[in-house]
Amino acid sequence: MAGEELEILKGINLEIKSGESVAIVGASGSGKSTLLGLLAGLDQASGGRVVIGGTDLGQLDEDGRALFRGREIGFVFQSFQLLPALTALENVMLPLELQGEGDARAQAENFLQRVELGPRMTHYPRQLSGGEQQRVAIARAFAARPRILFADEPTGNLDTRTGGHIVDLLFELNREEGTTLVLVTHDRSLADRCERCLTLEAGALVSP
Amino acid sequence: MNGGGAVSLTATRMLARDWRGGELGVLLMALVLAVGVVSGISAFTTRLQSALEQESHRFLAADIAVSSSRELPDAWLEQAQQRGMRTARTLAFPSMVYAGEENMYLASVKAVTGTYPLRGEMTFSEQPFGEVRPARSGPAQGTVWLDSRLFPLLDVAIGEQVTIGEADFTVVAAARTEPDQGASFYGYGPRVLMHYEDIPATGVVQPGSRVEYRQLFAGDVAVLGDFTRWLDARLAEGQRLLDVSQGQPGIGNALQRAESFLLLAGSLGVVLAGVAIALAARRFSERHNDYVAIMKSLGATSGAVNRLYGSSLLLLGVVATAAGCLLGWGIQAIFFGLFSDQLPVQPGPSGIRPYAIGSATSLVSLLCFAWPSLRRLSLASPLRVLRRDMPLENRRSLLDYALGLAAVGLLMWWYSDSLQLTLAVLAGLAITVAMGLVLALTLLRGGRLVGMSAGSIWRLALAGLQRRGNANALQVVIFAMAIMLLLVLLLVRTSLIDEWQTQLPDDAPNHFMINIGPGEVQAVDRLLREENIRSEALYPMIRGRIMGINGTDLPRTDDREEGRRQRETNFTWSDAVPDGNALVAGEWWQPDTEEALVSVEREFAERMGIRVGDELDFLVGAQPLVATVASIRSLDWQSMRPNFFLIFPPRLLAAYPATFMTSFHLEPENKLFLNRFIRAFPTVTVIEMDVVIEQVRTIINQVSAAIELVLLIILAAGSLVLVAGVQASVDARMHESAILRALGARRGLILGGLLIEFAALGLFAGLLATVAAELSVYVLQVHVMEMTYSPSPWVWPVGILSGMVLIATLGVFSCRRVVSSPPLALLREL
Repeated sequence: MAGEELEILKGINLEIKSGESVAIVGASGSGKSTLLGLLAGLDQASGGRVVIGGTDLGQLDEDGRALFRGREIGFVFQSFQLLPALTALENVMLPLELQGEGDARAQAENFLQRVELGPRMTHYPRQLSGGEQQRVAIARAFAARPRILFADEPTGNLDTRTGGHIVDLLFELNREEGTTLVLVTHDRSLADRCERCLTLEAGALVSP
Repeated sequence: MNGGGAVSLTATRMLARDWRGGELGVLLMALVLAVGVVSGISAFTTRLQSALEQESHRFLAADIAVSSSRELPDAWLEQAQQRGMRTARTLAFPSMVYAGEENMYLASVKAVTGTYPLRGEMTFSEQPFGEVRPARSGPAQGTVWLDSRLFPLLDVAIGEQVTIGEADFTVVAAARTEPDQGASFYGYGPRVLMHYEDIPATGVVQPGSRVEYRQLFAGDVAVLGDFTRWLDARLAEGQRLLDVSQGQPGIGNALQRAESFLLLAGSLGVVLAGVAIALAARRFSERHNDYVAIMKSLGATSGAVNRLYGSSLLLLGVVATAAGCLLGWGIQAIFFGLFSDQLPVQPGPSGIRPYAIGSATSLVSLLCFAWPSLRRLSLASPLRVLRRDMPLENRRSLLDYALGLAAVGLLMWWYSDSLQLTLAVLAGLAITVAMGLVLALTLLRGGRLVGMSAGSIWRLALAGLQRRGNANALQVVIFAMAIMLLLVLLLVRTSLIDEWQTQLPDDAPNHFMINIGPGEVQAVDRLLREENIRSEALYPMIRGRIMGINGTDLPRTDDREEGRRQRETNFTWSDAVPDGNALVAGEWWQPDTEEALVSVEREFAERMGIRVGDELDFLVGAQPLVATVASIRSLDWQSMRPNFFLIFPPRLLAAYPATFMTSFHLEPENKLFLNRFIRAFPTVTVIEMDVVIEQVRTIINQVSAAIELVLLIILAAGSLVLVAGVQASVDARMHESAILRALGARRGLILGGLLIEFAALGLFAGLLATVAAELSVYVLQVHVMEMTYSPSPWVWPVGILSGMVLIATLGVFSCRRVVSSPPLALLREL
């Protein structure tokens, strides 16, 4: 690596409108996750700018981006990323409490009801199936009422049927909450449910 | 942002979950152990110290005393009383005691005032050899107490009369013990106790008599220091201030070394626990990197993360400190449980300081060993939620290591109050680390070359060792440190206990005989043989006076002053270096030499400023004697053998009048032999040391038991380090093994590979540890504990083998799940 610069993303110029749903597809190693990381403010670009709702993420430090993420952004990950120490309910409450919301519990319960996990709220992640864990993750993502939701291969660790349910749930909540959705996937059929589909090849956007 | 509620909620839950998952076990146990060991040992030594102090006061029967061969001024007693102190007087002198016309015996008389003793207690019995009872004060005026042995010697009974000088006394009790019995110069013959006011009536004490006057003082610590200074400024020639330092050298020495050992053990416990804490915290933080990434992706700032883990640590610290203090209290309680019957005094309370030290240890350990790892958690990248393969933020900066080292050093220093001890241990650790890194990297590199041609298990193991070269080197160093510290403790404890046992074997001499006339030597020897009493050789003894060095007269002062002056002492002669003596300078003479030579004891020579080759002037009786110093000897004063400052060639002293002395061992049930012996040889003086020696032996046995117990506790701390060290690498090794399993590797291959890998690490660690341990023990024994160093060959196989077996067992045990769980489950989890 020494002395040799590696360019992962090149000349990407992309605008996503509020409320839009966008899929980013591409082969392994094409730079999908890197792009998602940059868009969501999890990573910092070595060049270029990411502006969300007028905020230039490059101007914020890591803590500033963390606060921004907490306020504006929700995530759904391939490997669920629930905290094993917390129950389903506490996992959903976590982002609300980090925001200092007073009625975190009521809101979290409401969202867990909406993903049909009302009876399993006090279970720990390891007591839940993969599909159930992803539903908790979806409830957590929407509970903080983000403006943008980033989903990284949300069905990647699930079987086809469960994956189908999860996708239905994701789009349903997205519609009800009016959230902007950016979704990274291998799955063509999942990408087709989005309003727009972008293809990445070797770090560059190609026309569909 | 207001995440306070979430933080405290999550901190408790996280701890609870980690506790259930076993991840906190090592961290918590290491912390509890550190606090427990530190506070326990510190409380124990504090209380032991207080007991020792009381004990030494007891041996003086006062807090301080002044002694002189001439009467001491009454003004001193008045001055002390004005300051609210208590006072007493004693007078000791040898005198004949008569019973009727026929019987008389040379006794050691002691006259005491009604206030005596100020500290400790005296005991008596209503009949000779009867039941021992404590006495509030000594004999009333007109009465005496006699040593049990004197009753048959004088043929008297309770209620009958004896005569001392010109006064008659009624015998009312048998004198058994006085607190300051061992301290008196004239405490040789059987004891007669009388009242101080009766002295004038006896008329035996005349100017120039061999007598010892004492004034005793006791009072509050605050007053005592002031008064001691006041008194010290008024002492004239021949008046000597006695304080607690002149206690019982036998016990004092043993207990002081035991205390050094305990403090050493405690310090090592702190180091070991510190390493275990650092390792456990590092693993904890590695495992929590993912959680932090998730929380950060959900909007947690680094401040919130620090607060979360900071409060977790605080909570952990509070729980561990409380549990540790409890453990510490238990440890010292067990120690005193062992001692309670044997200690002649009740140990004082330890106070709060030991637990404060324990709590401070906990705080410092958490701040310096655990927090650096946890603090880095806030630097974890949130990108890990997308990419698990991101490098962990767990590199420690040089500052962290420096901080840890400084913390260990300061804690040890504060705790042991000995810079030497601290430096010896730190030097040992530094050597281990330096040698460890060099050796481990070289050997691990070499391992690959050898391994290339070996079978597949070996190839797998050696490849594993090589691949994680740096991590393995660090692990070897950590294992080596732990094993080294344990070996150091084991070595010091073994030589300490060995030394005590050789010093005081069960048949150690417990009686001395002096004043055996030349004509009595054969008869005494025969009687001892007939009675099957084991004795040392009979040493000739000549009393003489050293007058000058190289023609210059030494100053003349009181005989009992320390320092460079004319003084009376005992000489002996010998053709060979006596047992227990070692030459430190010069040469021993040829047998039968006619030269005027002398061999001088080292401390005596230092005090008098004598060197080999110096010419010494003596006076033996009225005859002058000049001899050249041929050698300087060191000898063991605790050996209970007859020891001499000055030894001459036999021919040189042949012309001078000599008496003989010896020491022998007498079982308690044979005690009446002394009466038969004294009837047969009335002029021989027997010094009875059996009670004192028995007391020393009992206490030393208990100290040994305490030392074994501490060793066990420190072994536990050492095992924790080993467990933490093995765990640190388990994740990486399990991951590789799981991949190999997935590829179809047999169970035997994987376990065999792990076994060889860990055994190799253990071998290197054991080797390093043994080398460093021998070096540290040398420094500790010679410079800190002031013992003689002897190498211990047994430690080499023990160190190396135990390293191999322990690490291999722990390693394979920790990784056993890799062959029992499905590979996919493991890969997902890790």
